[in-house]
Amino acid sequence: MSKDSKNTNSGDPEIDYKNLDKLRQYIGETGKILPGRISGASANQQRRITTEIKRARYLALLPYTDQHR
Amino acid sequence: MRHYEIVLLVHPDQSDQVPGMIERYGATIEKANGIVHRSEDLGRRQLAFPISKIHKAHYILFNVEVEQDVLDELESAFRFNDAVIRTMVIRRKGVITGNSLLYEEELRDKEKDRERDRLAGKSSEKKTDGEKAKEESTSDQSESKAEESDEAQESDESKEGDGGSE
Repeated sequence: MSKDSKNTNSGDPEIDYKNLDKLRQYIGETGKILPGRISGASANQQRRITTEIKRARYLALLPYTDQHR
Repeated sequence: MRHYEIVLLVHPDQSDQVPGMIERYGATIEKANGIVHRSEDLGRRQLAFPISKIHKAHYILFNVEVEQDVLDELESAFRFNDAVIRTMVIRRKGVITGNSLLYEEELRDKEKDRERDRLAGKSSEKKTDGEKAKEESTSDQSESKAEESDEAQESDESKEGDGGSE
């Protein structure tokens, strides 16, 4: 039995740049993305989380840092 | 045809143009045999950081199925539209319908606003009835002394436009 990678590959719809509450769990106080070893996300999840956080940042839905004026 | 998700940030001063823009871009897509699966007006939102000295923006979300050339056309239309301050187009794998989380949020906000208006209307009526409501608005001026930490954030961004500007 292999991992159910195909099942998860289609994507957890929860992880989306529009799901700000979910993504906020994966950024620290300073706005940085938490490393996977701390957030506890699997490598696959962590990769998707990072891209979605970066999308949200580009759209100014999430901060890049806490030092924005 | 491929599936795309388009997000537009519109300048808040041009907010009143938003319904027109949604209609216009939807029409251009459908004229080119594209399909608009979802189009949402996410309303004016606070930005997480200022973009070119703007602190709020009006968000629009589209989920569409279009050909490449139509997408190119749209992208250039966004670029030449001065009201649009930022855009993002990403590829999606299939049809996406149903309200997005941000739209749900916007709907909730609108509902709250309506509720507040209704309550405000009622309370003002009561006041006209001569009910001396306990309006002892406890003006707790808890002056939490914000200790002035010496944050000498001297942002010397004075653009010295050297050279004869005249």
